[in-house]
Amino acid sequence: MSDIKMSRNSIKVMPGALVCEESKLRGDITIGKDCIVHPMATIIAEAAPIIIGENCLIEEQASIIYRVPFDKVEDKDNIPPLKIGSFNVFEVGCVVEAASIGNNNVFEAKCFVGNKVTVTNGCTIGAGCHLTEEQELKENIIIYGSNCQMREGLSKPMPQYSQMDTLMKILPNYHHIRKPSVKGK
Amino acid sequence: MELQDVYYDKSDYVETASGNKVCRRTVLCGSQNIILQGKVIVQAEAIIRGDLANVRTGRYCIISKEAVIRPPYKKFSKGVAFFPLNMGDHVYIGEKSVVSAAVIGNYVYIGKNCVIGRRCELKDCCVIEDNTILSPETVVPPFSRYGGSPGVQVGNLPEVQADIMVDYTRSYYQHFQPHKNPL
Repeated sequence: MSDIKMSRNSIKVMPGALVCEESKLRGDITIGKDCIVHPMATIIAEAAPIIIGENCLIEEQASIIYRVPFDKVEDKDNIPPLKIGSFNVFEVGCVVEAASIGNNNVFEAKCFVGNKVTVTNGCTIGAGCHLTEEQELKENIIIYGSNCQMREGLSKPMPQYSQMDTLMKILPNYHHIRKPSVKGK
Repeated sequence: MELQDVYYDKSDYVETASGNKVCRRTVLCGSQNIILQGKVIVQAEAIIRGDLANVRTGRYCIISKEAVIRPPYKKFSKGVAFFPLNMGDHVYIGEKSVVSAAVIGNYVYIGKNCVIGRRCELKDCCVIEDNTILSPETVVPPFSRYGGSPGVQVGNLPEVQADIMVDYTRSYYQHFQPHKNPL
């Protein structure tokens, strides 16, 4: 890791969050309260800062990349930060470049969400589904299967409280944890 | 058909007394909980999550590049518990596959880019084709071939499948050799 790269990074970790040191974080990133970032997860804030809400779970090999939005290539200095809501789950190997992400979404293993997609609340993107076309996912949409079929769920996915509690206990025993950079009150 | 030699950089791999070849660029979390029975190859950038629960492989297992071995979890009324992941002998796991199975039998072949959902059971002698997504808690019966998303049975396998896998993994191991002329 070169020092030049490190100096550009500005990573804020709120108290209560558990961020493994082996995760790759680049750019200006704020990680909210009680989030868990597994080792080898990648978050790259290329275009503008990424702000992640509370209680998000980001597993290994998941990557969240914020590139310059396609309609703002001309106007690079005025890109709003990417706000990711609370209670989102990013499973192993997913690639998320979405333009905006609400609350309570689940990105299952190996899914791909392109930069023209807007994700609202309570959506589930199934394992292996690729979404590239410009669209806005309505609330509680579930995408599944090989042809990325779409249907509306009756309720939003349950938050993973119990898994996160377990991980909060296990992970510090095995990994070096990034210290919260913002002090609690 | 004879397999081609695959060469690796000797400085990049660690070979243990029991013949395991493990790349230095893998991520073995909680290595005290990972048991590699011998003659196992773990290639670059594979991730084995021993920190979540025990991971145990048999002999002659091949874990390809960027594969993720991740013990499954189960929800209980009192919270979540992670379960150990047991793998039999002669198992091949393809590149970039995510394996969260509870049990993997002997002579199992898992292709590239697969997702094996949590708590799946792969019985002996089964084949999972490339790009298959197995939904959680699927049980794959012996001598069956699974493919698609969500994964369904697409065919059967001959009785010699066990011998094919033994030959395949053995010769893969024998042909996985260090560079003769290191640079």
